[in-house]
Amino acid sequence: MTQHSERGSEFAGRKFSEFATIKESLIARRLDASFILAPLAMQLVASGVPIKIVYLGHRDGTTLMVAKNSPVTDFAGLRGKKIAIPNRFSNQNILMHRMMKQWGMSFDSIQLIELPPPEHPTALAAGSIDGYIVGEPFPAQAELDGIGRPLYFTKDMWPNFISCVLVVRQELIDEQRELVQELVDGIAKSGKWLDADLAHRMDAAEVVGKHFNRQNPELLKFVLSKPPDRVKYTNLAPLKKDFDEIMELALEMGVLKQRLEFEQYVDTSFVTPLETLDWNMEQLPRPTAEATSK
Amino acid sequence: MKLKVLLGALLWTLLVSLAHVQLNIGWSQVNAIVREWMGHKRKTLDVGFLPVT
Repeated sequence: MTQHSERGSEFAGRKFSEFATIKESLIARRLDASFILAPLAMQLVASGVPIKIVYLGHRDGTTLMVAKNSPVTDFAGLRGKKIAIPNRFSNQNILMHRMMKQWGMSFDSIQLIELPPPEHPTALAAGSIDGYIVGEPFPAQAELDGIGRPLYFTKDMWPNFISCVLVVRQELIDEQRELVQELVDGIAKSGKWLDADLAHRMDAAEVVGKHFNRQNPELLKFVLSKPPDRVKYTNLAPLKKDFDEIMELALEMGVLKQRLEFEQYVDTSFVTPLETLDWNMEQLPRPTAEATSK
Repeated sequence: MKLKVLLGALLWTLLVSLAHVQLNIGWSQVNAIVREWMGHKRKTLDVGFLPVT
């Protein structure tokens, strides 16, 4: 995401520590735009919150981790194990059920428990769970700390996996359409730049780690390069076939109670062909100290 | 002589300021600041996120 776009609008990231607070902020309109879990966005629309998915945050970027010394070598080995997921309304939860179906396992054959993402590595280290599935960088953190190893990356389980999506309130679409377009274009351009060169990813890890997320840049560099397709930032247009599959699985699992049509919760009108978008790096201003301290 | 020194100092300040904008600030940032001075308030939007992919 950009702090200042070429056209002068300012987009500031507001960091949260759990999705429940984001959800409440969206409902109360203390927040007009946010990255949230895809099934959570669907559930909010089903419960009458006027939001639309306008873009994806990334593709893949989730890893199923087990303890470093675990004897588990494939998905069947997780039978009877306790695995943490970030949220009931997460696509990680849906992915685990999708895998159980593929491996001919009943939905209760693995014990899934909800834990906030930052607690996953410590719970694995303490032995209170046998594994976890969550977005990066929390899997990579356990890998670097020597307490966990990846069992599967999402690219190997459900290629082009969707985790977080960009949602905006309908009022913002109606009243400030240009601002939403500018935001979506900025994310698309940033993703294109990130995926164009590994050196760009290393630069981004330095800047984001030090000035925005307060995360170890070396951890972010690991996530963005080991392997490079661990997480992808292109192909971010929300596609009907992807969301229809999520919807069907969510209904089958009982995570969602009401079927929604794609057009009810997605607005694809902000998607611009990627070949027409590029940052003008010469024009981009450098972030101010005030902007980076938010 | 005094006039030459004054003009030289002004020219030096101007050149250093232009170099500072070019190297450290960026012309679009200056453009945004000027637009704010002229009453064109920059649009802002907070976007929520968790530091997780």
